[in-house]
Amino acid sequence: MTRYLARRLLLTIPVLFFVSLIVFSLITLIPGDPARIMMGEEASREALEVLRKEMGLDRPLILRYGIWISHVLRGDLGRSVRDRRSVMQTLLQKIPVTAELAVTSLIVAWAIAIPAGALAAWKRRSAIDYAATTVALAGISIPNFWLGIMLIYLLAVNARLLPPGGYVEPWIDLGRNLKLMVMPSIVLGTALAALVMRLLRSSMIEVLGSDYVRTARAKGLSDRVLIIRHALKNAMIPVATIMGLQLGGLLGGAVITETIFAVPGVGRLAVDSILTRDYPMVQGVVLFAALAIVAVNLAVDVVYAFLDPRIRLEERSA
Amino acid sequence: MKRLLVLVVIAVLAFTSISIAAPRRGGTIRVGLNADPPNMDPHQSTAAVDRQVFQNLFDKLVDINQDLEIVPMLATSWTISENGRVYTFRLRTNVVFHDGTPFNAEAVKYNFDRMLDRSFGSLRFSEVNLVTNVQVVDNLTVRITLEKPYSPFLSIMADRAGMMVSPTAARQAGKGFSLQPVGTGPYRFVEKRPQERIVLERFDRHWDRNAGNAQQIIYRPFTDENARLANLRAGELDMIDAVAPSEVPRLRTDPQLKMAERVGIGWQGMWIQVESGIFANKALRQALNATIDRRTLVRVVFGETAEPGNGPFPPGMFTHSIPANSRVPERNLDLARQKLREGGQPNGFGFTLKVTPGRTPQQVAQVIQSMAGEVGIRVNIEIVEFGALLSQLDAHRFEASLLGWSGRPDPDANIYGFFVTGGTLNNSAYANSRVDALMDAARILTTPEQRRRAYTDVMNILNEDLPYLFLWWPKDYKVYSPKLQGFVHVPDGMMRFRHVWLNP
Repeated sequence: MTRYLARRLLLTIPVLFFVSLIVFSLITLIPGDPARIMMGEEASREALEVLRKEMGLDRPLILRYGIWISHVLRGDLGRSVRDRRSVMQTLLQKIPVTAELAVTSLIVAWAIAIPAGALAAWKRRSAIDYAATTVALAGISIPNFWLGIMLIYLLAVNARLLPPGGYVEPWIDLGRNLKLMVMPSIVLGTALAALVMRLLRSSMIEVLGSDYVRTARAKGLSDRVLIIRHALKNAMIPVATIMGLQLGGLLGGAVITETIFAVPGVGRLAVDSILTRDYPMVQGVVLFAALAIVAVNLAVDVVYAFLDPRIRLEERSA
Repeated sequence: MKRLLVLVVIAVLAFTSISIAAPRRGGTIRVGLNADPPNMDPHQSTAAVDRQVFQNLFDKLVDINQDLEIVPMLATSWTISENGRVYTFRLRTNVVFHDGTPFNAEAVKYNFDRMLDRSFGSLRFSEVNLVTNVQVVDNLTVRITLEKPYSPFLSIMADRAGMMVSPTAARQAGKGFSLQPVGTGPYRFVEKRPQERIVLERFDRHWDRNAGNAQQIIYRPFTDENARLANLRAGELDMIDAVAPSEVPRLRTDPQLKMAERVGIGWQGMWIQVESGIFANKALRQALNATIDRRTLVRVVFGETAEPGNGPFPPGMFTHSIPANSRVPERNLDLARQKLREGGQPNGFGFTLKVTPGRTPQQVAQVIQSMAGEVGIRVNIEIVEFGALLSQLDAHRFEASLLGWSGRPDPDANIYGFFVTGGTLNNSAYANSRVDALMDAARILTTPEQRRRAYTDVMNILNEDLPYLFLWWPKDYKVYSPKLQGFVHVPDGMMRFRHVWLNP
């Protein structure tokens, strides 16, 4: 297992390198001079020249990349060209926010999807199955921005049950922090739940039809024990893959939800930085998002091994 | 009889003293902005939204009032020399920066040096580069000499270039001043978390004892206009900047909220590239212009949230009443057809109209498309990302494009750079030596009457040449809780909170 992990970790280095190279080239391909965009509607030639030089735009692309990567290797992600803020510090401010939202959204998604998926598979073609499918489809089809605004008007403006948006660190005010997470987690969670639920349902149906389940049933195991102890665990393998991808995606920031609920996370940082062509900040965000996806995938592989001992054994014999 | 009169007077006095409530101290003003202010250094700032925070963090040499007149701020009085080149400012006494540094003539000189230092690269450089000398006459008198007369100079001092930063803090922080800005304003900087909040706190040593009623101001960015309004409705904000046009009629009668509304100082319309291509032909520009019904366009797209316009001077500016600026032309299809024949395209022609993404620019483009289509002018609408569009306009690589200007209080800043030959903002590549000479003259002329005459001549030429079709003047909106008192809506759209207070 350790060797397996070590090999996977080493593989992430070239992945991150290529991601950074691609991002660096792509962002410079976006039309529009970044210095000009920063200056907005008023631009004077003198100021433009100074700004271009300061942003290093007068140097060739490959040199700029080289300088950047050499700094990154020394742990220095640079400073925002907009206000000299340290990219690393800004990221460290945003990541916990986004991570919290990602985790709470996944909890909402699981709380809906796992019971609903298992029930739908168990009571296939029943009213429960159709109801679960309908709710799942609704969750996928309703756009986040619409659901978000509706929730704000219902729960914050009319009922005054929850604050409409914003963020407070949990160590400053835990109660308010959790209240603030409710609506964005519902918006993100319901959208994710649909996919997980559909996947779990089909995977579960397959497992329920397999030989060992029939044997277990013949042994006289109750349905509840059968489903929770045996079928669900095996049906979770494909689901874990999807959840891993979802978590990775969430860590990259949920732009629309963050915007509507004024959650100061990685997603809004990414969008603001791209719109203002704040290169160092964009690079930092993307590097983090790539790192998050790689790390989550690694974690998912470890979870596989836990869910299915055969994967562990294969690795040992290989 | 006499006694009755006294009683009446007493009653009236009592009544008025009740109705004019005294400002209350304390509380936190929570403001929803439409974007996250990127930079807190007025000498480096580029984004318009930065200026909202600056109004309360910094004082300027002078300010503008509701009627766009120059009023004292850090300078209590000033004189302008006969030749219009020397400005002598008398500065306010007992002013200190938030870090304790005294504000005086030396501080003013330092601020100009900083803006004019090429190696520092201030974004204000082009606004103050006519300054050739800043002389400290005595501790509280500073004399600024310009290379040539420049009548908009005071209005420049009422904006970012006139905001005074602490020399001590600025020397120490250099370019990093933005992270810990220090001014003399009624509120001092506490913290800024990107995309989250900016916190200002009352500065106890501010020179104006009546300023800074609230203890704190918190700015929060909401890029989504629905979410911004919802937060105000939920009681999480006290004031928001800008609302969706569709919300305006409902807000006007909303008993729970107050709305301030007035025409701003910016202009909107269509750039036409006149150097090459189909629109190098003036008659064709005139033909297009004659097809546009500005009143209908505004009614369809903006409802009550804009006014049809025909020039760069919205209502409120002293140059507004110039007929070529304020008279909105009627649509005239016969004239359009006649101009098409004159231009050698009797059956019409086609051109590409570039617009930024978003619902409003596309709606405007579609209305123009259908209006122009009636005489055979085919408009091909192309959506281009804002940054990319700016580059194309700078390079004059376009035929026509919808893009406007947020506006400045002095007429010069609403016209000069856009139409002077070779100007950085002259997207049309328009060149007319007569217009250049008249606009230069208007910079030297000192009385409003003389300047109005010069701009009248400019506008008559621009309305004939049409390098830009001025179409509408947007209104500025602020929506706020009834708890917020004493807000004065200045047409520049800036939220000045120094004399605002919160009722419980």
